[in-house]
Amino acid sequence: MSAERFRTLVSTVLLAGVLLSATLLIVGLAGALAVGWDGSLTGAPPVPPSDPTDFSGVLTGLADLRPIAIAQAGLLVLVLTPVVRVAASAVAFGLERDGMYTAITLAVLAILLVSLFGIR
Amino acid sequence: MSPGTELLVFLVSVAAGALGALAGVGGGIIVVPALTILFGVDIRLAIGASIVSVIATSSGAAAAFVRDGLTDMRIGMFLQLATTAGAVIGALLAAIVAPQLLLVLLGIVLLASAGQQALRLGEELPPSVEPDALAARFRLVGSYPDARLGRDVGYAARRVPLGFGLMLVAGVVSGLLGIGSGALKVLAMDGAMRLPMKVSSATSNLMIGVTAAASAGIYLGRGDVDPTITAPVALGVLAGAVIGARLLPRLSNRHVRWVFLPVLVAIGLETLARGLGVGL
Repeated sequence: MSAERFRTLVSTVLLAGVLLSATLLIVGLAGALAVGWDGSLTGAPPVPPSDPTDFSGVLTGLADLRPIAIAQAGLLVLVLTPVVRVAASAVAFGLERDGMYTAITLAVLAILLVSLFGIR
Repeated sequence: MSPGTELLVFLVSVAAGALGALAGVGGGIIVVPALTILFGVDIRLAIGASIVSVIATSSGAAAAFVRDGLTDMRIGMFLQLATTAGAVIGALLAAIVAPQLLLVLLGIVLLASAGQQALRLGEELPPSVEPDALAARFRLVGSYPDARLGRDVGYAARRVPLGFGLMLVAGVVSGLLGIGSGALKVLAMDGAMRLPMKVSSATSNLMIGVTAAASAGIYLGRGDVDPTITAPVALGVLAGAVIGARLLPRLSNRHVRWVFLPVLVAIGLETLARGLGVGL
């Protein structure tokens, strides 16, 4: 893999994450203006106001297209983008047959996953 | 928040994203005081929004910087070993170390570095492109296309142990205090490793997203991220970061220093104030 393609891969991963996140955030914000944060764009029955900082209902809320859940999903995509970027870099270094930097990147990814999910 | 307030939050965040992209920092220095002082947001939720804004600045700006060849992928990943490991150590230390003392120390270090940075305001490129032994071993050398100078500029890292050590400290600080510590990262690459300022800023931009993402899980789990506040902040910062990333290649390294120095002083003062329990 050439340096050029390496850069294109990593920059595309970042751009895709940013665009997906921004789209979800815009739809969430616009939806909140239209039907309120806890309303539903599918016309699902209203729910009592939820705690906006509680992300545990994001999947069920997404199914009903609730603006709060759409915005939460946008933020989750944003937070995960750097993690996916590191994973993509590991693949790219691997394709470059750069053993040293593949190992370094995998180590970074492992430490990152530990700190994301392992420490509370 | 009312739609009008959300629009204002968005506009302030555009400025934070643009400044963050140029200076290689996350923009929390603008986001946190703006949210708490201007909009009366709880400090806990403001810091949660700021963590997300660091990631937004990073990804929004780095997408362009990586494509344009300003970011050094190897140096960034090599140093990320130190910042991520440091962040884990910091998170583990959080239970036993008083953050106040650390904030005071960090504030003093940042302000002291500002003096060194001021002396270097006129420097366009570092004088030497000779890598030291460790830099050669880990291939911490490269070149970037300088649109302003109209040529490719080669560079090589120096004083790698010092730079790596500073990045470890930056990681510990992030893990302990939940800040992106972009200023420390720029100082480690520009001041210690003597990389060109634009490369330092662009590489720091790539790195701060990973550091912030590492601690974001904790903030999400604690309920510190409120989407009704954070969504307009993230969108604004993303837009600002894209603007800043388009601007940086056209600036000289000297210009970037003039942007970075006041940001550094502001972060140093704010950190010191937080440590001493005054202001914010």
